[in-house]
Amino acid sequence: MKKKPEHRDLFAGALELMILKSLHWRPMHGYALAQRLQSISEDYLQIEEGSLYPALQRMLKAGWLETEMGISARNRPVRIFRVTKAGRKHLEQELESVKKMFAGFNRVLQLAGRQEA
Amino acid sequence: MGWFRQLLSRRRRYDELSQSIREHLEEKIADLIDRGMTREQAEHAALRAFGNVTLIEERSREVWQWPTLESALADIRFAFRQLLRSPAFTVTAVTTLALGIAVNATMFSLVSAFLLPRLPGLDPQNVVVPTSINPDATFQASANPVSAPNYFLWASDKHLFSEVAAADEYRIGSLSGPGQQPEAITYAAVTANYFSVFGAVPQLGRAFLAGEDQAGRDHVVILSHGLWERRYGSDRSIVGKTVRFNREDYVVAGIMPASFRHLGFTPQLWAPITFTAADRAPNARKNRFLYVFARLAPGVTLKQAHSQLEALAEQAQHDFPEIESRWGATIRTLPEFLIYNFDIRPAITILMAIVGFVLLIACANVAGLLLARAVGRQKELAIRMSLGATRVRMVRQLVTEGLVIALAGGGIGLALTYLGIRFLRAALTFNEAISAMPVRLDSGVLLFAVAVSLASALLSSVAPAIKASRASINTDLKNETRSASGRGHNRLRVVLVGGEIAIALFLLIGSGLLIRGVYLIDHQKLGFEHDHLMTAGIGLDQARYPDAAKQEKFVRDLMTQLRQIPGVMGTALTSDLPASGFNSVTFHIKGQQATRANERHTTADVVVTPEFFEIIGVPVLNGRGLTDLDDATAQRVVLVNQQFVRKYFPGRDPIGKQIQLDVSGSPAAWSEIVGVVGDMKSYSEDTRFEPQVFEAYQQRPVGSFSLMLRTSVDPTSLTPSLRHTAAQLDSELPLLRVMSMDTMIDLNRHGNPLFAQLLTTFAVLALLLSALGIYGLIAYSVGQRTQEIGIRLALGAKTSDISRMILRDGFKVALIGSAIGFVVALPLPKLFASVLEGDLSFSAPFIYPLVLAVMLIVVLCSTAVPASHATGVNPTVALRSE
Repeated sequence: MKKKPEHRDLFAGALELMILKSLHWRPMHGYALAQRLQSISEDYLQIEEGSLYPALQRMLKAGWLETEMGISARNRPVRIFRVTKAGRKHLEQELESVKKMFAGFNRVLQLAGRQEA
Repeated sequence: MGWFRQLLSRRRRYDELSQSIREHLEEKIADLIDRGMTREQAEHAALRAFGNVTLIEERSREVWQWPTLESALADIRFAFRQLLRSPAFTVTAVTTLALGIAVNATMFSLVSAFLLPRLPGLDPQNVVVPTSINPDATFQASANPVSAPNYFLWASDKHLFSEVAAADEYRIGSLSGPGQQPEAITYAAVTANYFSVFGAVPQLGRAFLAGEDQAGRDHVVILSHGLWERRYGSDRSIVGKTVRFNREDYVVAGIMPASFRHLGFTPQLWAPITFTAADRAPNARKNRFLYVFARLAPGVTLKQAHSQLEALAEQAQHDFPEIESRWGATIRTLPEFLIYNFDIRPAITILMAIVGFVLLIACANVAGLLLARAVGRQKELAIRMSLGATRVRMVRQLVTEGLVIALAGGGIGLALTYLGIRFLRAALTFNEAISAMPVRLDSGVLLFAVAVSLASALLSSVAPAIKASRASINTDLKNETRSASGRGHNRLRVVLVGGEIAIALFLLIGSGLLIRGVYLIDHQKLGFEHDHLMTAGIGLDQARYPDAAKQEKFVRDLMTQLRQIPGVMGTALTSDLPASGFNSVTFHIKGQQATRANERHTTADVVVTPEFFEIIGVPVLNGRGLTDLDDATAQRVVLVNQQFVRKYFPGRDPIGKQIQLDVSGSPAAWSEIVGVVGDMKSYSEDTRFEPQVFEAYQQRPVGSFSLMLRTSVDPTSLTPSLRHTAAQLDSELPLLRVMSMDTMIDLNRHGNPLFAQLLTTFAVLALLLSALGIYGLIAYSVGQRTQEIGIRLALGAKTSDISRMILRDGFKVALIGSAIGFVVALPLPKLFASVLEGDLSFSAPFIYPLVLAVMLIVVLCSTAVPASHATGVNPTVALRSE
């Protein structure tokens, strides 16, 4: 497996934002979350499964997530991660700022090459 | 409270985390098996996709931790586990450091008590002590007391000092009273402002008032706390009452607190000093007896004061060339002065330097042990690094181990320090000033021990840690044999052990030279028979013995009475006891050109009764001795010793020559040399004989003298009859220092036995530690080379070859180390001679080969043990191991 750590994180908090958004859509256990991220990113992003866990712990500590016992697709008892109220609020704020950032980012990329009028 | 709940729930968090990861992996494995993998393949694939489980778990946990503190705690826990797992290593390392730290902390208790004294009064740091510089003294020349005229001159300079006090510190007086045994006490005669210069106030009553140092108003005293407690039972009502002091009535004005003491030197009582017109006359410049204490005028620095005093001294040299020629002046802060005057700094400095070296050896040993261990743990470290542990983390882990060892050593070391200080306290009783010192395990010593522990942790673990963590993952994991990777570490250990041996040899030689010097002094011939001699001091006061006639009568009566005591074979009087320091004077020889002031002849000057020489067994070698006919009406005569003749009449007959002694307070007169006597030591701690002149008591009576009784019985058994006889003649006259001559000499030697004992202890400790170091090195390398030795044996090497090979290794290190230590120790005799005042002889060339031989024997012994292990290697077993 190729590992290029310098490409792994797009920007600080990107992984957390993706996790938050996924879990907001539906509470999941770790493996399901990893699969979900993998499939929807269509291998554009290389996410090492293990790296989810430190991120999950950070978010648990920040109070954006909580855990509860649930059942996996295979009917095993698993820990399900669910977004809290605080998490939801954080997600909204972050999405807003990310959108703004990307807008700015796009604009710079589009215009940076052009001659000024 | 959040952090607290967090702490409690953390255990659960960690369990949940591990659970989540396990669930994750199980789900994935199940998926992969569904896709057709075998279980084994699936497990591999799942782990590969997941990444480093341990590392991820650790990183995830770190989220919940206070990063530095918690991982430090983890490191410490881990270090403890590691150390408990190898108890032999741990015990050796901890004991080594404990000894090193204990001797350092114990010695530091002396530094703390003697060199960092806590002084009484208000900001004592700002009290300064100007002194004269004696051009002729070899001992404490620059702390000479000051003459009264110089004191007046300095005190009147308002630009220099804002307040100046003077004290005659070492006077002897008598306390008596109806029905009490008269007691001799040391007291200080001080100016009225003495206590205010120190910013000290009495605990009870008042200090001296301005003007109480004028004759007529001066019959007031202030008691020391010790005297008040001992003689007056801490009676508070004594203040304002009258006590009998020097046969006169004095009013007790106040009591000083116990804390008012200067490095042990505390007078028992203070009385006002009174100056007369004679003290202001130019001739009073000869009498240098005052210690001056002052506070600098605002804005004046110590340096400015110093140059001003030098200027004043130069002026005095110019104005009074006869008396002041070559005399200088200097100034110190009070603490500096006391430390210099106490004269303990050189000894403490030497001891402190030695224990510092001992600690270095201990650290080198522990570093060596850690290095050896690091080699054994090479693979463990390589594995941990390949699992993602960072280098910094590894170094921290290893340093933590060193720290745990050092702190354990420090803890045990402190317990040993407690014992060491108790030993010192018991041993430091050779004089009152020393036993009064608060040598104890105080916060300073505690702090020092902690600092030393931390420093030794760093010293002993940083180098091994960095070296170990530099190990490369590849080579160390690939290397199957331990020996190959151990070479680099061994080289460092060889350097360490070589250094240890160099230091140990250096210390042994240094201690050997010092001990030899002390031994020579303690065992030198004093030149007279000091056994069966009883001595007592007497100071006849002006009140009852105002003139020479009265004094002489008392002496005659006393001598006659004393000779009646059974067991007394003879008595003599002397102005100073031999071996305890004679008075030194300058003199002229008749017929010689008037010598210039800076090349005056000096000699010891003693006043004795005719029987003196017979009593102490010093022979008259030439001419005649003194007789009762040499009295005030006869021609003045003197005897001289052999050294006097050697120095001032080399190759000539001194008999019949005339000399004139410059004795203060006595009219100048020519005396004829009538005899030459054998040499005796003026001072028991001096290695040389000095020129001596003996005057006849009847021709120059002195009021202060010592009695000497030659006895046929144990001299101390005569103490009661001696006291009784004296009391019958004068019931208010106290006897001073009533003791045998041998006891007196022992007192002079005060610290020598302890000093030598400490030196020996530390030097032996250094030797043992370095022996341990070389033993560890060789034993370890033998262990590493088991395979090689096995091969050699299998190929037919004799066991004697093997042990010779091992011994050679040990000796190579020892010889290089010894050579370095030897060379570095060569200039030691000169160094000691310059650091230690006095005339100790430190040139004892035989010490060098002796110490070298001892060192090589110790090395031989500590190498022989592993060498004999090596020859016991069974080739088949050795080759199979690994």
